[in-house]
Amino acid sequence: MPPKQTIRKEEWDRRLHEVQVTKDDLNRLIMDYLVIEGYKSAAEEFSQEADITPPVDFESIESRMNIREALQRGDIEDAITRVNDLNPEILDTNPALYFHLQQQKLIEYIRQGRIADALQFAQSELAPRGEESPEFLSELERTMALLAFESSATAPAGISELLSPGQRMKTAGEVNAAILESLSQGKEVKLVGLLKLLGWGEQLLEEKAEYPQMGV
Amino acid sequence: MTTRPTRSASIPIGPRSSSSLSPSRNIESVISIPFAAPPRPRISNAQSIPRSNVDDHRVGVSYGTRGSSSTTIATSPPRPTARSMTLGNVSGRSSFRTPSTYEPRIVRAGGEGPRSVDAVCLPSTAPARSRRQSGASGRGTSTQRPISGFGAPSLHAPPPVSFPRPTYLDYSALRHMLQTDSPPALPPSRKTEPPSHESQVPSALTSSLTDSDEESNVSPPRELPSAPLPTLSQNKILRLPTRWSDQFRHALLSVSGDGRDLTYHGASCSGDRDAAAARTVHPIPAACGIYYYEVEIISKGQKGHISIGFAGRDVKLSRLPGWEINSWGYHGDDGCSFAAEKTGTRYGPTFGTGDIIGCGIDFTSHRAFFTKNGTLLGPVFDNIGKDIDIYPSIGLRHAGEAVRVNFGHEPFKFDIDFYVLQKRNQIWSRILNTPLDSSLLKTCSIEQDNSAPMTKGPLSEAQTKDVINKLVLGYLEHHGYVKTVRAFQKQREVEMRPTQPVATLTSTSAEDTDVDMVAPPEECDTGDAVACDMERRTKIVKAVIAGDIDMAIAETKAHHLAVLEAEEGLMLLKLRCRKFVELILEAAELKKKMMRTVAGAAGTIPGSHDDGVIEEMDGMDVDDEVVVSSPHSATTNGFNNAAILVRGGRRRNSVSPSDGVIAYGQTLSNEYKNDARPEVKQIFKRTFAIVAWEDPLTAGGVVTEVVGHDAKVALANELNRAILKSQGRPPSPLLETIYRQTAVCVSQLGLMGVGGATFADMEKEFLDA
Repeated sequence: MPPKQTIRKEEWDRRLHEVQVTKDDLNRLIMDYLVIEGYKSAAEEFSQEADITPPVDFESIESRMNIREALQRGDIEDAITRVNDLNPEILDTNPALYFHLQQQKLIEYIRQGRIADALQFAQSELAPRGEESPEFLSELERTMALLAFESSATAPAGISELLSPGQRMKTAGEVNAAILESLSQGKEVKLVGLLKLLGWGEQLLEEKAEYPQMGV
Repeated sequence: MTTRPTRSASIPIGPRSSSSLSPSRNIESVISIPFAAPPRPRISNAQSIPRSNVDDHRVGVSYGTRGSSSTTIATSPPRPTARSMTLGNVSGRSSFRTPSTYEPRIVRAGGEGPRSVDAVCLPSTAPARSRRQSGASGRGTSTQRPISGFGAPSLHAPPPVSFPRPTYLDYSALRHMLQTDSPPALPPSRKTEPPSHESQVPSALTSSLTDSDEESNVSPPRELPSAPLPTLSQNKILRLPTRWSDQFRHALLSVSGDGRDLTYHGASCSGDRDAAAARTVHPIPAACGIYYYEVEIISKGQKGHISIGFAGRDVKLSRLPGWEINSWGYHGDDGCSFAAEKTGTRYGPTFGTGDIIGCGIDFTSHRAFFTKNGTLLGPVFDNIGKDIDIYPSIGLRHAGEAVRVNFGHEPFKFDIDFYVLQKRNQIWSRILNTPLDSSLLKTCSIEQDNSAPMTKGPLSEAQTKDVINKLVLGYLEHHGYVKTVRAFQKQREVEMRPTQPVATLTSTSAEDTDVDMVAPPEECDTGDAVACDMERRTKIVKAVIAGDIDMAIAETKAHHLAVLEAEEGLMLLKLRCRKFVELILEAAELKKKMMRTVAGAAGTIPGSHDDGVIEEMDGMDVDDEVVVSSPHSATTNGFNNAAILVRGGRRRNSVSPSDGVIAYGQTLSNEYKNDARPEVKQIFKRTFAIVAWEDPLTAGGVVTEVVGHDAKVALANELNRAILKSQGRPPSPLLETIYRQTAVCVSQLGLMGVGGATFADMEKEFLDA
């Protein structure tokens, strides 16, 4: 192994300065986020204020957002209907997504304390799918474990998190990505990619060199 | 350097900014790495003298000993003639024949002179070379300094066949650094390449050119003369292999003039000990990510005992690649792969006359792969090219064996582009599968739950969202996109609301929701103040862009007085100079109108403007007084232009009814006459120079830069940053900082050939629409 190289701050700063990125570039990154995450009115305002063309029409953002809102309300049935209205192929061609929607529906039953409905639904809809794939099965088991605990406060984090808003967001995000993909648009928010690349890069470089890191 | 005449003073970087080179300046800014066009011996230009020092330093990295050309000539006594011939080549067309000038390896030890002399004396006939070479092959690292091509082949070589960078290398994010010997192509123009005005900006003023704020000439001019020129790795040009080396080849091999053919001459080697190998001039840059070349077996001779592969720089040339340590080869006689071994490992089919063997190295996995006639044979070897430079290398053993290499001279038999594309995509999806680490919360200074101490680990969906929202909001606020911020915040609130009912069910989710629910109102409360502040800031910025400097100054004075007072009122001066520019523009506009009217009325052609101007001025006897009264007219620091200004103002005055212009200019120059700061003088110089032009907006060059819209935008952005700074906020949005940090990180990794970072193409992934 060659010795760890040291990159001095001045040298680093100079390179930072030389990176070629313009306000327009960053504006487009922002727009990408607003569109994908469905901030429709913000995207509209932004296209005005920053004078950039949005990559999609704002209506498509809206229908995606309606679906997302339904999911975040916990109205999974409504969300499924809307997705199918938009494009029935999305769920047909994406069994994992469909399973996760069903799973979310089960979670909502449990949340509402409709235990009988939950059991009925799990048996009729989810169990057969659980047999299809071990991954589905373990997810089903995890969800069913919610029933074993009186309140999620006593449940292990791995299980109680199913009841958190984060779980709804996760499902909503998955649906959003699937729709975007069906519209042949980027589904990954570029900003997230950027952060991932930063994390990946900083970690690798840390092994090889001393250099000024972010947030240090 | 500081006391240059007005026009050139704004071009302190010297020759590089001369118009002929401005494209390369542009390249630098696009790819962050200057093209390092061979420094030309342009001695006549006085500015090139300081510059050459820099070249020395810089070129030391990318070009070895070349450095400042004049110095090189002077300091290589052993072979002055040879050297100057080399240089002649350099300044002329690409000097393929003299690889030593491009050899990126720097002298590792002294005492190279004698070898060079030997080389000159060497006959190019096989026996003599043979002795020489066999001696050479056993030598250590220290004497590896390649000598210029004095063998017969190179002297009589036709001009080298140059070729562009093979297309599969376009998948490397560092592609712009990778160059064949052919003249550098113009920079790849990304769609968002800075508009032309930027490329015209003299280098000195572009120190901030790449800022997303497009902030220009704001760094204090006093820094300009010493503005750090790109050095070291930034200038790195990574030469791709383009030909077999005339030096690093066994004497029994001849290299064709174009550097592509290797032919074995003389008696065949016997036993298992000897062979004749060659390697390329340049090593394979790890920044390629994947490198690939193909070899056509022109003749397999008697046995087809040919090895195709790679070797380190010092591997014996009397051995087949794969026999020695730091060499790897695929052998045609038995189809075995060899990695520093006596007996090979079964790998692929044998090959012979007419076959095309491809040879690739994948730096992301440090493995090699071969192809035969366009078919992939699969990965082979481990840890190849780790921590050492490696070169394409070929070994032959028998009379009549001949091969011809394709380093990208012509299309490859194997679809390497697709292969690399797939690899690239793999790497990229691997990166995208990296979970976001919680250290990001710290980076974005997002406060975490007090109960939970900073946990290392992946971010949750919600946390990710927080981070991104923070980035987005910070960015929008920074640039004052007020309405967007409002719309965004409103939608964020709505987004949070539906989670409320969830709160009632379980305590855990109740807590979660509480946190979520508490946050938005808080943000809103501060949000109002923030919004208010942002609106004020936006108003100021817009006023500058609209040319309403008075309003901008008044508003700034009212809310951000410190900004105007900072640095002894530097910002205020800049604003006032802008106001002066606005006045001049106004006057020029009026005058233009007037001229048109006059010309139209009199039915005459306006003719030379200068004549008209002189007449006008002659007609006004006050002018002289005004000039004399200008306190600085005799100095050379730019205030002589103030005199012109005053005159010009007067002149315009005769045409336009406005008295304000002169008065303003006079006041301004009087107020600051005791300010000896170089940047102040510089600002005055630049500002007042514009009055020498009839129509500064169309004058072009520096003048237009000073008065143009972009200058206004730049000033507005500078003011914006200054205000933010005065509030203790970072002068750049965090998002931008993150982007830059990532870019530097990744390109550094790419240069080091680590982890396939070269396939993380940020421009493509994040910037191209």
